[in-house]
Amino acid sequence: MRHMLRQLLQSGRFLIGFGIFASILLTVLIYPLFINDPPLEIVSRGTFLAPGIYVNVYDSMNFSTHYTLILDDAVAQRVGARLNDEDRLAMQEWLLAAGVLEGEINIEDTAALIELWNSNFDPSVRVPGMTNADRNYYIRLTDSLEGLLATEGAIVAVPNQTTGVLEETGVINQSDYVNIGEVPNFRVLPLGTDNFGRDVLTELVSATGTSLTIGFVAGAVATAIGLLLGLVSGYVGGFVDDIIVFITNLFTVIPSFVLLILISFSIGQEQRGAFTIAVVIGLTSWVWTARAVRAQVISLRNRDHVNLSKLSGHSIAYILAMDILPYIASYVVMALILQISSGILAEAGLSILGLGPRTTEVPTLGLMMNWSMIYQAHILGKWWAYFPVILVIALISFSMNLMNTGLDRVFNPTLRG
Amino acid sequence: MKGYRDYFLKKLAWFVVTVVVAFTLNFFLPRLMPGDPVAAIVSRMAQGMSNATGVQAVYEQYTRLFATDKPMLEQYIIYIRNVLNGDFGYSISQYPRTVADVIGASVWWTIALQFPAIIVGWIVGNTLGALAAYIRKGFDKVLLPLSIFLSNMPAFGMAIVLLVIFAVDLKWFPTSGGYDYAMIPSTSWEFVWSVIVHYQLPFWSIVLITIGGQAIGMRSMAIYELNADYVKYARFLGIKDSKIIRYVFRNAMLPQITGLALSIGTMVSGALVAEIIFNYPGLGSTILTAVLGGDYPLISATTLIITFMALVAFFALEIIYGLIDPRIKAAQSE
Amino acid sequence: MAKVILEVNELTTRYITRFRESIYAVDHVSLKVEDGKSLGIAGESGCGKSTLALSLMGYYFAPLYYTSGEIIVDERHITGMDPDAVRKTILGTEISYIPQAAMNALNPTRRVINFIEDVIQAHRPQTTKREIYEMARERFELLGLPAEVLQKHPVELSGGMKQRTVIATSVILSPKVLIADEPSSALDVTSQKMVIKMVMDLMEKGIIKALVFITHELPLLYNVTDDIMVMYAGQVVERGAAQEMVFDPIHPYTKALMGSIIVPEAGLRNVKLAAIPGTPPNLKKPPSGCRFADRCKFVMPECRAASVDLRDIGAGRAYRCIIPEEDLRRLYKNEK
Repeated sequence: MRHMLRQLLQSGRFLIGFGIFASILLTVLIYPLFINDPPLEIVSRGTFLAPGIYVNVYDSMNFSTHYTLILDDAVAQRVGARLNDEDRLAMQEWLLAAGVLEGEINIEDTAALIELWNSNFDPSVRVPGMTNADRNYYIRLTDSLEGLLATEGAIVAVPNQTTGVLEETGVINQSDYVNIGEVPNFRVLPLGTDNFGRDVLTELVSATGTSLTIGFVAGAVATAIGLLLGLVSGYVGGFVDDIIVFITNLFTVIPSFVLLILISFSIGQEQRGAFTIAVVIGLTSWVWTARAVRAQVISLRNRDHVNLSKLSGHSIAYILAMDILPYIASYVVMALILQISSGILAEAGLSILGLGPRTTEVPTLGLMMNWSMIYQAHILGKWWAYFPVILVIALISFSMNLMNTGLDRVFNPTLRG
Repeated sequence: MKGYRDYFLKKLAWFVVTVVVAFTLNFFLPRLMPGDPVAAIVSRMAQGMSNATGVQAVYEQYTRLFATDKPMLEQYIIYIRNVLNGDFGYSISQYPRTVADVIGASVWWTIALQFPAIIVGWIVGNTLGALAAYIRKGFDKVLLPLSIFLSNMPAFGMAIVLLVIFAVDLKWFPTSGGYDYAMIPSTSWEFVWSVIVHYQLPFWSIVLITIGGQAIGMRSMAIYELNADYVKYARFLGIKDSKIIRYVFRNAMLPQITGLALSIGTMVSGALVAEIIFNYPGLGSTILTAVLGGDYPLISATTLIITFMALVAFFALEIIYGLIDPRIKAAQSE
Repeated sequence: MAKVILEVNELTTRYITRFRESIYAVDHVSLKVEDGKSLGIAGESGCGKSTLALSLMGYYFAPLYYTSGEIIVDERHITGMDPDAVRKTILGTEISYIPQAAMNALNPTRRVINFIEDVIQAHRPQTTKREIYEMARERFELLGLPAEVLQKHPVELSGGMKQRTVIATSVILSPKVLIADEPSSALDVTSQKMVIKMVMDLMEKGIIKALVFITHELPLLYNVTDDIMVMYAGQVVERGAAQEMVFDPIHPYTKALMGSIIVPEAGLRNVKLAAIPGTPPNLKKPPSGCRFADRCKFVMPECRAASVDLRDIGAGRAYRCIIPEEDLRRLYKNEK
C-alpha cells in the first residue's frame, strides 16, 4: 500500500491530474469564505456585462478627492476610444462615395477629419450599396463626434431642492482622477455578468460545487449498483449470473442518455432537484462498473485464499467483503473516478436539453451552459458566459482522466508499453 | 461458414431482444414514475398550444393512441400496434403536424450528419493512434496529450469552440441551421451548396471528438500488439516491417470495432447535443423543441428512434466484426 | 574435422532501457557448431540464454542492440551486414528460429498458409502461391503434419499442433541453422516429447544442418544435443560434450544446476533449481570479479578481485573459475 502510494506520487500524470482537481475543489471550498453572495443574485440591470472593475460614477464624482495627473497620452486615448481606426476608415469610405476627393481626406488628422465630416455628412444622402444598418451606424458615429475635441471640463450640477433650478456644484476637468481605493462603491466582476445580470464567477464557483456533488452522488450510486451486481454475478455464477449479464448487456447497448432524457422528462420540472438528477444519472450508468467488477471477480473466485475462506465456512457476504473486495478495490476506485466525470458531463448534456435540475435554487455547470446557449452568448461574442464553464468541465474531466491513467499504471504496471 | 451463420443468428436474436426491451422501457419507464405523468402531460398540453380545436384534437388523439383509460397491458398492446403502423400521434408543440411527420423531417439530417462523422472520426483517430504507437518518439508526445485533451472536451464544448472561432469570428461558416433559411429546400445547386456549408462545423466537431477517444484506444491496442510474440517471430523469419505493421494494425483495429460498437450510444448522445448547439435540424433539435414545448409524444418517439438507430448500428458493427475476425468463426464452430 | 556451420566469436549485445542504461545480457560469448551437430544452452531464467538466441539471429531491433563480436554462418559473416540484407538473405533461409511462446507466435488473424506465403515471398518474391502451397504441403507432410492445417487459423489448432506448425514454418526454407528457444517449456509432457522428437527429426532428415537448443531443463539437453554450454549472468561459465557436462561438471554453477537432474520428479526440478541460494547479479552494474561469487559455496577473496577468463582445457571443454579443475573435483568429493 505504502509502495503504491509512493509510486503514485512519482507518476507525473497522476500528480498533474490531482493538482488540477485539488485546485478546483479548493477554490469551490475557499471562495465562499470570502465572497458569500448568493450565486443567483442579480447584480446588474442589462445582460452580459463584460468582465472588469465597475466603479460607481456618482461616488467617484462626489465622495472622492480628485487628483490631477498630467499624462501626455490621455487625450489621444480618449479620442481613440470614441473614434477608432475602423471608424476613420468608414468615414473615409463614405466621404469618397459622396464625391470628396481622396487627396482632401487625411484620416490621421482628427480635427481636420471631423471638420470635413461635419461639412459633408448628410444622413439623408443615400450612398449606393449602403444598408440601413450602415446608415444608422453613421448617424451614431456623427453623434459621438460631438464635443470630442473639447478641452474644457464637465460641469456637475444638481437641482436646487426648493426652486428646482440646476446649480453648479463642481467642475470635473479632463485631467481629474480618483483613487479607486477611495471610491466607496465599486464591484469587481472578473467574469462579468450573465444573461440575467448575475455575477458569473460567483455563479461558476457555486455551479462547480453543485456539479461535483452531482458527479459524486451519481458516481456513488452507479458504483454501488455496479459493484453489487458485479460481485454477485461474478461470484455466485450460474443462473443469477446469466440474468445479471443479460441485464448488463442490455443496458450496454441501449443508450443511457436516452433513458436519462425519458426519465428526466417524466419526472417533471418541479420534481427535478439536483439530487434527483444525480440519482437518476447514477441509476443509468452502472453498466461499465458491473462489467469490470464481474470480470475481476471471476478471475479471483478460484484463488487459494478464497477457497480457504469457503472451506472455513464463511458466508458469501463475508467472502465478498473480506477476500474479494480488497483485490478489486483499485478497479472500483478507478471506475468511480470515471463515473464522477461522466456524471458531470451527463448533467451538462441534460441541462442543455432543458432537462436539468430546476432552475430556481442552485446553478450547475449544465444550467449555466443552457442559459448562455438560450441567450446566444456564443453568437453575441460574450465569451465569459460560456467559455469558463466549458473550461471547468473539460478540466474536471481531464484531471480525473489523468488521475485514472496514473492509477492504472501503478495498479497494472505490465499492461502498458 | 457454419460458424459464421451461428454467430449471425445469435447476434440477430440478441438484436431482436434488445429492440423489444428498449421498446418496452420506452413505454413503461415514464409510466413508472411517481405521480401520473400521463395526466400531467395531458394537463400540460393546453399550455403549449393556443389553438383550441388543436388542443381538443390532440387530447382525443392522445387518449386514443395511448388508450390512457384502459389497463396498462392493453395500453401497451395498443401502443405496439400503433407504432408498427408508424402512428405516433400528433405533435403537441407543432400541431397539426404528426409526430411521424416531424421525425421524418429530422431523422435524415441526423443520419446524414452523424453516420459519416463517426466513421471519419473513427478512421482518422485509428490511423493517428496507430502512427503514434509506431513512431512513438515526438509524434507520440504531441499527439497523446492532444488526444487526451480532445477526448475530455465535452461534445458541446467542442461544438461551441468551433462555432465561435469559425462562424462568429472568422465568419467562414454560418452559425446555425442545416441550410440557409431564406431558401426553400430543392435540388438546385445553391441549395446543395448551402447544405454543404452548413454541414461543415457540426460534422467536424463530431469528427474531432471521435478522433480523440479512438486515437487513445488505438494507440494502446497497437502498442500491445507490437509487443506480441507473433511480431517477433515474423521478424525473425525475415518478413518485411511494412508487412508486419499491417498485421499489427489489422489486429489492433479489430477490438476497436467492438469498442466503437459499445460506445456508439454515448457518441450519438454527444452528437445530439452538438446538433443543438448548431441548431441543426436533426433529432437533437427535435428533442429540444419537444422538451421546451412539453411535447410528450414527440419525446417518446424520438428517444425510441434514437435507441433503435443505436441498436441497428451496434448490430451492424457486430456483424462486420464477425465477418473480418476469423477468431469469431472458429469460436462458434467449436 | 567437419565443417563449421555456425561460429560465434566474442559476441556482445546489450539492452538499452528506457532510462538509457545499458544491460549487457550477452557478454563476449563464443561458440561453434559443426555440420550435423547440436548445441544445448542452459541456465536459470534471466541468465541471458534467451537474449543469446535473439542475438545469434544477427538481426537486432529495440531495445536489443549489437555491440561487438562476429557471427559466421557457413563462412558468411553476418555481423556488419546491412540489416535489410540480413533480413532478406539470412533470416529464415540461413538461420531460423523457434520462439519461446510458440502458442502465440502465429498471427491470430492469418491462415497458416497465408503466413507461409508472406515468409517465402519475403525471400523469393517470384514464387507463385501454387508453388508455395506445394512446398508447404510437402514439408508439412514430411514432418507428419496434415496438409489441412495450412488452411486453418491458429485458433483452430490445438496447443501441440500450433507448436509443430510453428516448427514446420520455421524450417520451410530449409535453413542451415535452427535456434530453438525453449520450444517445449510451455507444453505438457507428451507434447514436449513430440516437439523434441520433431526437432531431432529435422536434423536426421537433413532439413537443418546445425541446431542450437536453449532450455532451462538440463535432462532435455542431455538427450537432445551433442554439446552443452552453461550460461550465467550473460557469460559462458562452462562448455563441453553433453555426456561430460552432465556427469562430470567442473564449474560450481554447473555442479549446482546438475544437482537438479538427480531429482526424478518433473515438478520438483524447478524447486531444486531455484534452491541455489541467492539471485543473479544486477547486469546494469556487474561485479568486477567472478559473477557467481556471491552465490558460490567455494568463494574465496581472490574471486572478487578480477574478472575470470574462460579456461580452455582441451577437447572443447572450457570453464570459468580460478580454482583448478582437480581442486574443484576434490571439493565436490569432500562434500559428499
